[in-house]
Amino acid sequence: MRTENAVFLLVLLLAAGFFSYNVQRLLSYLSIAQPDDRSGHPLVRLKNVITVAFLQKKILRDPVAGPMHALIFWGFVVLTVGTIELLLNGSFPAFSYAFLPSQLYTFYSISQDVFGALVLGAIAFAFYRRLVLHPERLEGDGLEHSDALLILGAIAGLMVTMFAVNAFGLALEPDSITRAKPLSLALSIPLRNLPTGLLTGAHAVFWWMHALLVLAFLNYLPYSKHLHIVSSIPNVYFSNSQGPGPKGVIRFLDLEAENVEQFGAADVDQMTWKDLLDGYTCTECGRCTSVCPAHLTGKVLSPRKIIIDTRRRLMEKAPLMLGDYSEVAHHALVHGEGDEGSMSATAILEHRLLDNFITEEELWQCTTCRACIQECPVGIEHLDHIVDMRRNLVLMESRFPPEVLPTFESMERNGSPWAFRPDDRAKWADGLDIPTMAELTERGESPEILFWVGCMGSFDDRSKKISVAFARILQAAGVPFAILGQEETCNGDPARRMGNEYLYQTLAKQNIETLTRCDVKTIVTFCPHCFHQIGNEYPQLGGNYEVIHHSTYIERLLEAGRVPFDTDAGKTLTMAYHDSCYLGRYNDVYDAPRETLRRALPIVTMVEPERTRDRGMCCGAGGGRMFMEETQGKRINIERAEQLLATGADTLAVACPFCMTMISDGVKAKGSDVPVLDISEVVASRLRV
Amino acid sequence: MANTFAFAESRGGALRRVAFEAVSAARALADASGGGEVHAMLVGAPGIASLAGELGKYGADMVIVVEHAGLANANVEALAATAAARIKAGGYRAAIFSASAQGRDLAPRVAAQLGVSMAADVTAFELAGDALVVKHPAYAGKVIATLKLTGSPAIVTLRPGARAAVEAVREARVESAQPTSDPGASKLVVKEMIVGGGTKLDIGDAPVIVSGGRGLKSAENFKLVEDLAAAFGNAAVGATRAVTDDGWRPHSDQIGQTGRQVSPELYVALGISGAIQHIAGMRNSRTIVAINKDKEAPIFKVADYGIVGDVIEILPVLTAAVKEARAKG
Amino acid sequence: MKIAVCIKRVPDMETRFKIAASGTAVDEAGLKYDMSDFDGYAVETALQLNEKQGPGETVVISLGPDVVQEQLRKALSMGADRAVQLKAERVPTDGLVIARALAAELKGGAYDLIFFGRQAVDSANATVGPMVAELLGLPCATAVSTLDIANGRGTARRDLEGAAEIVEFALPAVVTIDEGMPRARYPSLKGIMAAKKKPLEVKPAQLGEERLTLEKMELPPERAAGRIVGEGPGAVAELVRLLHTEAKVL
Repeated sequence: MRTENAVFLLVLLLAAGFFSYNVQRLLSYLSIAQPDDRSGHPLVRLKNVITVAFLQKKILRDPVAGPMHALIFWGFVVLTVGTIELLLNGSFPAFSYAFLPSQLYTFYSISQDVFGALVLGAIAFAFYRRLVLHPERLEGDGLEHSDALLILGAIAGLMVTMFAVNAFGLALEPDSITRAKPLSLALSIPLRNLPTGLLTGAHAVFWWMHALLVLAFLNYLPYSKHLHIVSSIPNVYFSNSQGPGPKGVIRFLDLEAENVEQFGAADVDQMTWKDLLDGYTCTECGRCTSVCPAHLTGKVLSPRKIIIDTRRRLMEKAPLMLGDYSEVAHHALVHGEGDEGSMSATAILEHRLLDNFITEEELWQCTTCRACIQECPVGIEHLDHIVDMRRNLVLMESRFPPEVLPTFESMERNGSPWAFRPDDRAKWADGLDIPTMAELTERGESPEILFWVGCMGSFDDRSKKISVAFARILQAAGVPFAILGQEETCNGDPARRMGNEYLYQTLAKQNIETLTRCDVKTIVTFCPHCFHQIGNEYPQLGGNYEVIHHSTYIERLLEAGRVPFDTDAGKTLTMAYHDSCYLGRYNDVYDAPRETLRRALPIVTMVEPERTRDRGMCCGAGGGRMFMEETQGKRINIERAEQLLATGADTLAVACPFCMTMISDGVKAKGSDVPVLDISEVVASRLRV
Repeated sequence: MANTFAFAESRGGALRRVAFEAVSAARALADASGGGEVHAMLVGAPGIASLAGELGKYGADMVIVVEHAGLANANVEALAATAAARIKAGGYRAAIFSASAQGRDLAPRVAAQLGVSMAADVTAFELAGDALVVKHPAYAGKVIATLKLTGSPAIVTLRPGARAAVEAVREARVESAQPTSDPGASKLVVKEMIVGGGTKLDIGDAPVIVSGGRGLKSAENFKLVEDLAAAFGNAAVGATRAVTDDGWRPHSDQIGQTGRQVSPELYVALGISGAIQHIAGMRNSRTIVAINKDKEAPIFKVADYGIVGDVIEILPVLTAAVKEARAKG
Repeated sequence: MKIAVCIKRVPDMETRFKIAASGTAVDEAGLKYDMSDFDGYAVETALQLNEKQGPGETVVISLGPDVVQEQLRKALSMGADRAVQLKAERVPTDGLVIARALAAELKGGAYDLIFFGRQAVDSANATVGPMVAELLGLPCATAVSTLDIANGRGTARRDLEGAAEIVEFALPAVVTIDEGMPRARYPSLKGIMAAKKKPLEVKPAQLGEERLTLEKMELPPERAAGRIVGEGPGAVAELVRLLHTEAKVL
């Protein structure tokens, strides 16, 4: 071993040691967090890692930045193989991959050169994009920008020095085994005429530059948003955003646990370790915020900020909680570490994530539409953060917008968010000859399905028409069904989404008790919120039923030819369908409503709004927003109605009573008289009488 | 045959309508019990005695006038002591108060001082042997309770407007009396009277609410709604969420699930289609009138009276008609 | 300050009531109960006063059978410090009987303020508060819509018909709380958990003989179905006539 090898080995060990110290430090910060069991379903999680991380499925949803990032990422993976060789070779000159079969080694050599070039090209584009194009979603403070530019510069430097090392190397030894690097070889040709001493010197200089840059880059990661290089794979693995299990299910909160004194989260140590890992993983790409309906309509909420704030707060609080006060001294020096440099440890501990970083206003603006989670390429679950903080607000501090109070009280007293009498729940069905479960049980009968009507379908005059339409379809198809009538109560979704887990569980348990007593197996509902809640979240409380959305159910009836239609073709409609978040992004039901419309109206022309399917934009009612004022910015339902009207459709179709209200209001506000229909109304209008 | 006591309420040196109703009710009770006398108590600042004659018109045989500089405004402790002493001394079968803000304040104190039970806010009464049987609306007016009050004197507060005052003219004797306790020694005193009129009625308090929706088409057209409110005289202006969201009206005017929940005597919905959010806030109003161009609008399902038509066109006509009706009645 | 708040358990007024077979009560099947709205404002007012004016104690009292403990617990979960149940088989009809039982409990309590709701929303008598004041020899401000307490004195606004009066009184005093005062806060889960550990004392109510008794309960006549009076400005005259003669609101 030559001296320089020994020196490099020392440098390598120091760098690796410092890096592992930082990784340890960051991991230790997760120890302040709350537990969350994410160990199950390793195969599904592995599959997510392969598709989301390695195949860059979500990254590629962006047609411009997607390929750019994918090239850099794949380049990074390929070039890391070369970097390992280089680092080992620097310490132990005898080491090289040359022992590999020559074809494989040739392939490896080519890959290094090709990907080096591709990455360099992608980096050039990234610089252009950030400095010239200025995409809106990349906006951030100066620190965020300089971090990004530093990283891009470092990668560019790595590529340039890599090519330089290879080129000077090949200039020295044109017949080296590494010559299968076409670009490096081409670069080496003009260098060959230089004096050998110069070539050797330049090679050594570039080699050291490259190696040191690699090590510097590695050690910069823990202080940068580029930590995602390390954290995104575990984050994708542990994320539930792609499954396992149904999407968007809110974490169960055990309200009866002994000695629990905190419900929800007001600060980082009350969040789960996955929430904190989300913080480490965020690359500040802004894909989440760029699709957020609240952000797009001029509100303060930015899901990106929620995650960055979580990390910033973690970085200032965790060291103090773990007794490391040195971080206070330097947290202002490096990016992502803390709030203000001048704060004392006591002041930092008195702060908290809620209020000092994230305001109540931001949290209440969320419609829980899941668009942010859908877009995030690294498995961040923004809603877990938001709902946990809403839980703290409601369950610990009784803080929520004043207009929510009657909603909570009404859910408690009347079993519906609206202040309507529970005994009027089945009034819409008067004279329609629809039996209740209680009546059937008395007669010793049991229906094929339970039609779960929901509060909108029971009390809202517009939605009552949907209830009637769907009941008529079931009757025409000869499906034996029943309703719960007065025994039905709100499924609890608005309460749960607004953080009132206590009220939610009270209502859910009551419904589960009723459904169990009535021995219900199959439930059909036209409300996507009831559908998601009963089907996907009631299992947490022991309620297991087959729950089908009416779009799927009607489609099945149509497919089986059970719905008698008029032969009259009717008029031609140009129809735009608006995706409900709780049907689409939460449950992947995109085709059933469209297929239902096509089958019901063979002459229908379907047009799609620009934002559609899993990119569809929320109507603004989810997450309890239906029951809150919308005072900031443009109204979401108007924005969405504009998008739908821009398709030129002469009829708008929805499959959710909340969307119905919001979109109808939006259309009316635009002064348009384009009708908004539920898919079941479209079908019912063609029933043979 | 027994005498009956009535408390004749006055404010600012004038008798209130409820005073005549109380005297008239006492007259009816006295007549039913075989023709006893009605003694009305009239309390106020010096000079109030001049009003005594008016009480004779509704059947008071005697007016007990208590004049005192300290009684210009209601002074509940002095009034209770004075009325209780007089009721005790007079050996009355019954004492009628009004279920007005003042009567509801006063009568329970009198009853407690006398150690007798009372019936509050009654709409009808009759003698049944030793007892007085009364009707009392309870459960937010959704239930009518029939109650039996035994013991003497029977203290009753009478719901304003439930029994119209009937003339039964006679020359009332006047008896002057002094307050039993010094008004100056009361632990609670009225510092200031604010007489209504200029103050804008809050939608939570107004007996009439006229409310506008998007059917009004613009913020400027709310002038028409305000005109109608002014014609009623006791009305406040409300609005739907769509209207407050659009900034046509302040958010504080919003009626509905996320705004105020109201139950006035009369609710006039103008150009409001009746979204669930709005209905949830106003459907408990006693009488609901709706004007809307769409006859299928859900608002007509909760309305008692509806007019189908353009609200902008109908409003001025309605305002004129209300103005005229108000002037007459 | 030491504040007592007397609260009553009442059914939800949104219900479409039915009369029980006895004919002297509403059918309790399916009824949901809460504390009377105005009593909720009263609890809230007491809590806010003690929160703003430093250390104090808020004691909630309810007379009735064991089910009233539910409402007492709710008040405790809002933040009241302790509760007293004056146990009785049922709530008497006669307000004086209730007032005497409450006065007996309140008498030695050295309360600075005793709050009631303006009236219970079910029985709607508004008699117990002022009766208690009389029995205890205290001033009583009824149906107040604003309240200021400073230096041992209170100032309140009482809304009268078409007018209002500002009253001033010495403490200790009885105050009955009307619309306009803060709505009852929504108890947090933290509050609900804490309430389970707060003291709730049960004592027998000292009840005398009732001289106001319930004979009968009945439903008022049904409201007539709504109707379309007509179309366009031409229908206004008929509408105004109906409002005048039928609805009697004009």
